[in-house]
Amino acid sequence: MTIPTEIDPTTLEALRESVAGVLTEQCGSTALHAFIDGKTALDRDLWAQAASLGWLGFGIAEQYDGLGLGLHGLGILHTELGRQAAPGPYVATLCAGQAIAAGGTEAVRKAWLPRIAAGEIRAAIPVSLNDNQRIRQSAGLTLSNAGVSGELRCLGSADAAFLLAPAGDVWVIVELAGAAGANTAPVAMWDRTRETIDVRLRDAKPAAILEDAAGVATALLQAMTLAIAADSAGAARSITERTIAYMKTRQQFGQPIAGFQALKHRAADLATRLAVMDELVAHALHRATMGAVDAEIWTSLAKAETTEHFVFIATDCVQLHGGVGYTWEYDPHIYLKRARLNEILAMANPALRDHAAAALADTTRAGHSALELGL
Amino acid sequence: MSSILEAKDDLPKFRAEIRAWLADAVPADWKARMARATNEEYIAGQRWWMAERRKVGLAVPHWPAEYGGAGLTLQHLIVIAGEMARADAPLTRMFTISLIHLPGTLFPHGTEAQKRRYLAGVAKGDVWCQGFSEPNSGSDLASLRCRAVRDGDRYVINGQKIWSSYSMYADHCILLTRTDPDAQKHRGISYFIMDMRAPGVEVRPIRQANGRAEFGEIFLTNVSIPAENMIGRENNGWRVAQATLASERGVIAFEGAERQCYEIEAFYRKALASNAAWLNDDQLRREFMGFLAEMQAGRRMLRRVLAESETPEASASVLPSLVKLSATVLRQRICSFMTRIAGIEGQDFALLAEEPFGSPMFDFLSAFSGTIAGGTNEIQRNIVAERGLGMPRI
Ligand SMILES: Cc1cc2nc3c(=O)[nH]c(=O)nc-3n(C[C@H](O)[C@H](O)[C@H](O)COP(=O)(O)OP(=O)(O)OC[C@H]3O[C@@H](n4cnc5c(N)ncnc54)[C@H](O)[C@@H]3O)c2cc1C
Repeated sequence: MTIPTEIDPTTLEALRESVAGVLTEQCGSTALHAFIDGKTALDRDLWAQAASLGWLGFGIAEQYDGLGLGLHGLGILHTELGRQAAPGPYVATLCAGQAIAAGGTEAVRKAWLPRIAAGEIRAAIPVSLNDNQRIRQSAGLTLSNAGVSGELRCLGSADAAFLLAPAGDVWVIVELAGAAGANTAPVAMWDRTRETIDVRLRDAKPAAILEDAAGVATALLQAMTLAIAADSAGAARSITERTIAYMKTRQQFGQPIAGFQALKHRAADLATRLAVMDELVAHALHRATMGAVDAEIWTSLAKAETTEHFVFIATDCVQLHGGVGYTWEYDPHIYLKRARLNEILAMANPALRDHAAAALADTTRAGHSALELGL
Repeated sequence: MSSILEAKDDLPKFRAEIRAWLADAVPADWKARMARATNEEYIAGQRWWMAERRKVGLAVPHWPAEYGGAGLTLQHLIVIAGEMARADAPLTRMFTISLIHLPGTLFPHGTEAQKRRYLAGVAKGDVWCQGFSEPNSGSDLASLRCRAVRDGDRYVINGQKIWSSYSMYADHCILLTRTDPDAQKHRGISYFIMDMRAPGVEVRPIRQANGRAEFGEIFLTNVSIPAENMIGRENNGWRVAQATLASERGVIAFEGAERQCYEIEAFYRKALASNAAWLNDDQLRREFMGFLAEMQAGRRMLRRVLAESETPEASASVLPSLVKLSATVLRQRICSFMTRIAGIEGQDFALLAEEPFGSPMFDFLSAFSGTIAGGTNEIQRNIVAERGLGMPRI
């Protein structure tokens, strides 16, 4: 096992700039609206580009053909994807990669990780993990000698190549595309920048069985909470910036509305939340990268807190736009819908806070302080 | 030189030396004694602690050696503040202006003679107060009216100051006055050092909502100040005052946040050991977990403020305002939580407490000092919106 290390900040900054550059160019407001209205295949085009730029391999070790940029690299990618509310099954695929790397056998890693890193295959994962020993039957899948059966709502695209999900006491990888006994149906959601599907399996042969259920579940939860927290921080900042820019141009009562103090104070409160969100994400990434005993506390809380801030911010951004904020044509509703989905993904926030509270009690009883920043 | 200062080139050793000294120097019962202290005993306690710090070279550790300091860096200050918080050592609140605002003003703007004379006194325990606010000039500080009129080589002061912390115990005051009533309001202000024992200076304590009287009103009647006590040029006091206000950024808030972190941890350990009722209440437990997350975010932000404070970008940054907004509101929320969970016992009148959050109403009420003093949170929002977000001033 390699010792987790922090990637040096200048490398990360260069990375952020290159990802942000591509996304602002390809996935600006006009392009995103055209996609949402079904006029383009922006998600496919973006994915192809992401694959060619190695983005899907950010979190995967070099020995499996990834770039080995660690959680911080992934954090940057998710933040920038969130910024542009980019469409595509990134959370599902990237998080599945993390979970397979943590809980798969060497053979499983070799079989799946290089293909994920290359952007060749997309994943589906449960939209939400329950906290009952982290693998509960919520998944609703069972494993018998005949194969995997059951139904499951998943985060992922209709053309997902495989499903990673708990089935009974283990986790399984099941091929979806064209495989016998596997059926997927897309679900039309309010957030059109992400996709969910209903997966129906009947005696589908698992492509792999991951015995280390707790390891996979823990890794998947960590990856999802970090991804969604980072996405929320980037998205919230972006819609706030767009809203303030609008407020500077919109004139009422003979002045830009940005000059009204009531609105300035609201904008300042949004800026304060954004500053807190960035640090919540940074702290969670830092503790998780260090493999700290308290990592689970901070990744769970980061997701719970940032998604609620994001909902608050996106809601206020609609209101601060006035009538146009309520239209399909402007950006705020896109972010508000993304925020509402983020809030419920991975695990419900009350359960995440309970999860963090239980971890805090364990850590404290074991004689550790969970409050070291370790900077 | 103390063994602490001898270790200054080796940060971990420096930390260990401070920890060892604090283990010795901080009496176990200081809080219990302070909880029952009269004002005089409190003041004596503050002076005693300052003297203890001086013995090991930690009275003014961050000042250059030529002014009695140890020339330590920001990294050292962070270690010192962190260790003070960890050891739950007494605070030096009464010396805030002496330790932070005075050097923050004199180093950039004072004459050599002023620096030599006044900075030396701080390590010996001189108490300074800040005479900026007036009854009619709070947020709109530049509208201040306390008059200074030149008379030969002296100035004669008449007017009133208010909310001046520890002014009743102060030896000196950094004072803002109006020297040109006809000029535009920012351009007619001059900045003085005033002897609080001079004839014509009268201080009346003001009792706060939390029951204590830590600030006071200063009445100035024909107080004579030598012209050499002016800091900066005549009518240039507003610019000098910016240095004073900027010096508040960072270290005090940093130590405050570190102390709060230790308090929260001690409070939580006790709750866990006694299986406190709130831990079994879903809503309260979840609320508490939210505080922890925001507290960690705030501690990280404060480290960034400190790192940034030594860069050229610091003067334009609104990060200190963002930190103030989030930290002071979080403090209010935490204290509000403590008040709710304490039930009827939390309503018992008590001033200082031995236990962290042992007098939650006192803490809750005291939290307003954070949201009001040093530029209210509304003023911070103006700063964030206008300077940080570029929203127009109309
Ligand atoms: C504990 C404590 C210690 C202090 N210590 C000192 C000290 O040592 N020396 C010293 O000189 N002063 C001190 N002060 C004074 C402090 O700086 C002032 O209280 C503060 O600047 C606010 O001024 P004010 O009290 O006159 O309130 P006001 O300015 O009258 O404000 C009243 C309300 O109006 C709001 N408001 C005012 N202007 C605006 C605006 N432009 N936009 C939006 N809202 C606005 C304020 O936010 C506040 O909510 C201290 C205050 C406290 C609470």
